[in-house]
Amino acid sequence: MIQSMELPLVVFTVLSQLAIGLALMDVLRTTGIWSVSPPALRRQWLVASAVMALGLLVSLTHLGNPLGAPRAITHLSTAWLSREVLLFGLLVILMGATALKGASRPLVWMSASVGLAGLVVQGMVYSPPAFPALNNAVPFALFLITAATLGAAAATWFAPAEGQPVLKTTLVSALCAGLILVLVVPCVWASGGTVMRETAAAYAASPLYWLYAVLGLALPLAVVLRLRRIPSWVPLVILAGAICGRIVFYLDTVHTASNLGGLY
Amino acid sequence: MNKQLGFYVDAKRCIGCFTCAMACKNQYHQEPGVVWRQVYPLKQDIYPHAERAFYSLACNHCEHPTCLEVCPVDAYTKRDKDGVVVHHQDLCIGCGNCIRSCPFGAPRYNPVLKRAEKCSLCWQRLDAGLDPACVKSCPTSALMLIDLATFDTPDAVQFPPGFPRAPALNPSTRFRQAELPRTVMREDVR
Repeated sequence: MIQSMELPLVVFTVLSQLAIGLALMDVLRTTGIWSVSPPALRRQWLVASAVMALGLLVSLTHLGNPLGAPRAITHLSTAWLSREVLLFGLLVILMGATALKGASRPLVWMSASVGLAGLVVQGMVYSPPAFPALNNAVPFALFLITAATLGAAAATWFAPAEGQPVLKTTLVSALCAGLILVLVVPCVWASGGTVMRETAAAYAASPLYWLYAVLGLALPLAVVLRLRRIPSWVPLVILAGAICGRIVFYLDTVHTASNLGGLY
Repeated sequence: MNKQLGFYVDAKRCIGCFTCAMACKNQYHQEPGVVWRQVYPLKQDIYPHAERAFYSLACNHCEHPTCLEVCPVDAYTKRDKDGVVVHHQDLCIGCGNCIRSCPFGAPRYNPVLKRAEKCSLCWQRLDAGLDPACVKSCPTSALMLIDLATFDTPDAVQFPPGFPRAPALNPSTRFRQAELPRTVMREDVR
């Protein structure tokens, strides 16, 4: 269990970041760059809240005893996981309310703010001392990139023509940042201690890692740069890439305990 | 300093017989594959000799235990009277966060109960005035129970090579490092 695929957590983290990404992109709309018809706006927020709720539901299947899940908010004083559960639970409610109230500006901003805070907290959950490669801001950066790429791509399903250029620019920026991050971070790990070097080697040897770099980042970037607007299939390709990348994140990040008795 | 019990692992004395690990298993009958105490041979990078040296490791009952801090359901407590970190399995929901977070790999997943578990430092035995099962079983006295408030051995180290360095957690285990055997040449004894 120290290093395993953790599929429920893969689905949960990716879906929750998609939902947060959609919320963050709607903040751009509220600045007046484009306007969306009320039914389309409601659809966007309903999709965001449904995706978030689905992610939370799937995360329960990862627990040995899911019936105890409500107690997971009892250790808010020190446990980032408790804070994550509380924030994401609040986020589902906020997103649902935003959808029902016609995406009023205060609710949109509140949802996006809670979502952003949720990403920070989620980043802290996955940066324990047991994973030297992740015991830093890398998890948060990866999660932010996933939220930005998936959010900007999926928002094009709901945005009218005048919103597409902004979403395209946002997506291109996020994909560039993601590509740099994904290629540079393992190189930095490769210059670290034994466990970090082992993590870098495991990532480099993983086909899923390269699938993420190509399918989730490079290919969409190449396609989006060549076209005037984001094709409707691009979000699905980015989603598939993000899932590959997240599997590598859980499966191939080396735990310190795997090297007991060896050099660190 | 408050009383803080911990293990003293004397790698100079340990012969890697696994009796400590077996004593733990006999005491608690963990599920197959679940080990609270494990004996790790030191790799050649650290101990470059044909004879092997070993660390017998379990939970380190840290001063600032990560398992306790990250547990979302507060299933871990640290006893005031001796610093033992106790996992309350009935509260555990099996999220695995402690297992992922402990740099020493002390909490393990019980696939039958679907909950975490770990070395309890035999607190029930301690309360009865007995030594932990692993300490009692060691045939070479390579594993001992110490109280850090009174422990004063000059050659003891907290983070020897082969053990993850996590000073923020302040693990209570102390080590005496293994020494390479001395090769005595004929000319040395002349």
